[in-house]
Amino acid sequence: MNRDKTDNSQMDSSAIDNILTNEEELVPSSGFLASVMERVHEEARTPASIPFPWTRALPGILLAGGVFGWGAFEFIRLGIPAVGSIEFTPPHISAALERPLEQAGWVALALAVSLVSWLLSRRFAGQSGV
Amino acid sequence: MTATTSSATEDLADVTRVLAGDVQAFEGIVRRWQGPLVNMAWRYCRDRGRAEEMAQEAFVRAWRGLAQWRRESSFSTWLFALAANVFRSELKRFPTVTVPFDEAPEPSAPATQQESLSKKQNHEVVRRAVLALPQRYREPVVLFYFHEMDLAAAARTMGLPEGTMKARLSRARDLLRRRFPHLGRLSADLEIAALNQGKEA
Repeated sequence: MNRDKTDNSQMDSSAIDNILTNEEELVPSSGFLASVMERVHEEARTPASIPFPWTRALPGILLAGGVFGWGAFEFIRLGIPAVGSIEFTPPHISAALERPLEQAGWVALALAVSLVSWLLSRRFAGQSGV
Repeated sequence: MTATTSSATEDLADVTRVLAGDVQAFEGIVRRWQGPLVNMAWRYCRDRGRAEEMAQEAFVRAWRGLAQWRRESSFSTWLFALAANVFRSELKRFPTVTVPFDEAPEPSAPATQQESLSKKQNHEVVRRAVLALPQRYREPVVLFYFHEMDLAAAARTMGLPEGTMKARLSRARDLLRRRFPHLGRLSADLEIAALNQGKEA
């Protein structure tokens, strides 16, 4: 009984082996070699991609990061008390926001500085790339 | 000098020339390996046009990464492993349309007049059923039979230990046997029918 089962399984295995091993060979089409070589030549003509100038950009990125970080910190530090101190009686609103508005000016200045540093770093990167 | 050694020497010479800047030397590599790579791709997708596209992509990737061949293994081992990666990712992006494994039709009994055709069709059913196997079992089967049942070569191409490959292969065969329980008997019937036809002729 067991032997029958084993024989059957072996026969199935060999049938599967036979079917999957003996496949007709596919011959590549006549233009295959030429089309591969065409793509390879295209690749060879394409100039190598320019690496990003990290050494030049790093100071700018650090500066921008610092300015953004400081701006965000100041914004949260000053913004939260300002929101908390808002009173819903109209005469007090402008008085309550007077100082935060002044601080917001500083934040805007910080953002402008970071924008300038970002533009400068882009310009340097552009110069080194050309 | 055997054919394999000769091919290995030619591969090495061509790679050296390509790396030295001779683009045209890559043609020798494509000429030698286009057949195996197209056939390998065909076994992954069973679509001739797509097989050529995938094989072309594999050659272009090989061109780009030629400097990464460390020469510790043979060039063919490196090329097949790279091609397997390309085919795998291409088929992940655009999978082939296959019937679910459980719905693959059972091979039919041979018709008296058309044994040869019936045999071909039934074999194709089994080959297509391989593509419907779960992903982890499909590729070991494809590569094992592509490498003419050389387990070590298939394992090297997949970058898997031979033991893992063997286990997956065994599970895949179990799945196929369960799906096609009459395959052995049917195959024998077909062989006998073909022999009888040969005698009559």
